[in-house]
Amino acid sequence: MKKNYRTIKLSISAALAGLVMAGFTSCGKKDANSPGVEFMPDMYRSPSLEYYQVHTVDGDTINNAMLPVKGSVARGFIPYAYANTPEGYEQAGLNLHNPLSASDKEQWEKDGEVLYGKFCVHCHGATGAGDGKVGAKLPGPPPAYSGPLKNLPEGKIFHSITYGKNSMGSHAGQLTQEERWKLVYFVQKLQGPKTAGTDSTKVAAAPAATVTPSH
Amino acid sequence: MKNQIPRIPLKALIAIVFTVFTISSNLKAQDGAKLFKQNCAVCHSSHTDQKLTGPGLKGVFDRVPKGDWINRWILNSEKLIKGGDAYANKIYGENGKAAMTVFEGNLTPKDIDAILGFIKAPLPVAAAAPAGGPANLEGTQGETAGGIEPLYVILAVIVIMAVLLASLRSVRTALQNTVNRSDNQDEAMEVTFWQEVKNWMGGHRRFVGVMAIILIFVGMKSCWDACYTIGVYYDYKTQKGYKPEQPIKFSHKIHAGDNEIACQYCHSSVEKSRHAGIPTVNICMNCHKGIQTGPQYQGKEIGKIYEAAGFDPKTLAYDDSKQNPLKWIKVHNLPDHVYFNHSQHVVVGKIDCATCHGNLKEMTVAEQKAPLTMKWCIDCHRKTEVVMEGNAYYDRLHKALKEKYAGQYDVKFTVDKIGGLECAKCHY
Repeated sequence: MKKNYRTIKLSISAALAGLVMAGFTSCGKKDANSPGVEFMPDMYRSPSLEYYQVHTVDGDTINNAMLPVKGSVARGFIPYAYANTPEGYEQAGLNLHNPLSASDKEQWEKDGEVLYGKFCVHCHGATGAGDGKVGAKLPGPPPAYSGPLKNLPEGKIFHSITYGKNSMGSHAGQLTQEERWKLVYFVQKLQGPKTAGTDSTKVAAAPAATVTPSH
Repeated sequence: MKNQIPRIPLKALIAIVFTVFTISSNLKAQDGAKLFKQNCAVCHSSHTDQKLTGPGLKGVFDRVPKGDWINRWILNSEKLIKGGDAYANKIYGENGKAAMTVFEGNLTPKDIDAILGFIKAPLPVAAAAPAGGPANLEGTQGETAGGIEPLYVILAVIVIMAVLLASLRSVRTALQNTVNRSDNQDEAMEVTFWQEVKNWMGGHRRFVGVMAIILIFVGMKSCWDACYTIGVYYDYKTQKGYKPEQPIKFSHKIHAGDNEIACQYCHSSVEKSRHAGIPTVNICMNCHKGIQTGPQYQGKEIGKIYEAAGFDPKTLAYDDSKQNPLKWIKVHNLPDHVYFNHSQHVVVGKIDCATCHGNLKEMTVAEQKAPLTMKWCIDCHRKTEVVMEGNAYYDRLHKALKEKYAGQYDVKFTVDKIGGLECAKCHY
């Protein structure tokens, strides 16, 4: 009887040891979709509310990728006075001017060139001819700065970056106003000297009325 | 031979006239194609229904009022709308009051005729070829199962051996009993399995001892190895990191590699904030409003962006009530007690993205390429030299250090020399 008991105990402990070993070795991550196992809570799964995560707090599911509360204003935000309408576009072309001082133009152009390489070049191309790699895949490539857009005034350039134009989307979320004005300097460099002639990008008569602030 | 006027057959005459006519009209169409591309293609598709900013121009001549209406519209659409033209106001309203550029002064009536000629004529074959690139650009996604784990093979062999042993043993006992019975002897005393094993082990002591030692060592080693692979999103043995399948089969290779889009275009907060940021669908739509098919999955994966944005690719209209946020899966994770700042490393430290994230320009599925452990951070801080020259952040410090230690040391200013190993820099 006693011997039998010892046999059972031994075999159980052997089985347990085997299980533990198998458990350890199977922890090695094989599935690329699995983040792996934590040996002890290592704060990889954050107890605090982290960005882009879904959390459950007191039974409520909270998605942290949410829009800001209505009416909230980001720090350093400067309102833009022209509406996203053909009239606003024309008004911006007439009345909106670069606030960055022209005496530092070279510096702004240099900064603008760096920004252009990150945010514009893949569609508009290195020389602004509209021959970027992505531009070629668009249904219609962007018009050349030195071609149809040669006489585009600075206000309209800024307006187009802010709201987007035709196939181009708004880049206001990616670029601050100052960065947009630096880009305007660089785009003007690509346009070359203006030719005498009218702005070829007119879409509506600019009403002389007062500017209606929006946003 | 008299009065012989060289007679050109009527057929030939017709052919010549026709050829001349075709060539000239071809020239006109070619010219029109060029003009269309320069002035119109940004907003209009010439031979399809596809709406871009403006409507597709297939069958446009059946829609618009007859006569020279379309010429007047192209010259100055604003004048027509303001003048109260019924059809002009109708299409102005239908297209979200997006006004068409006024071409008066930039295009001559002749130019407009050329453009209209191009739209009327069927699309030349070369231009009509489908724009789809070669399919199957990417490698296959899933990884093939790499053989069976040797441990499982060993376990299986052991189990099979045990079953075999037990069954053979019972057969032997049964045979023995039969023999005993036929010899009119008592049945053999029951010998337990364990007793038999013990007897065998007693006879092979040295072998059993060596085997036991080997087993213990193998077990310890595998436990030790396994400890390294727990919970850090990175497998040291295979040098492979976390590589989850994302809700959209987004390929960094196509975007950052083939199309040379800068990393910062989408991860635009990397230079301004602690986080590099996951781009919003609005950034996807900056290009994919126009580019509606991809090289590998055609419109399937790009369609998921439209679903998320509540965007209808046919009418180009957004419906906010149909928005459906994408749940991207974060690949690079740090524990909560570690502070890491992207802008500090990218702007001040001038570290290239690929230093930590690997060459994403060749990755179809984003994968964690660096271990992201504390050892890895510290190793890098110990050997990376701070870029002091031409770096406004260090101008004062560098000058002061150069003055203080002039000629004394030949020091490399690595990150750890300026406090890069202090605990509170990352843990607080």
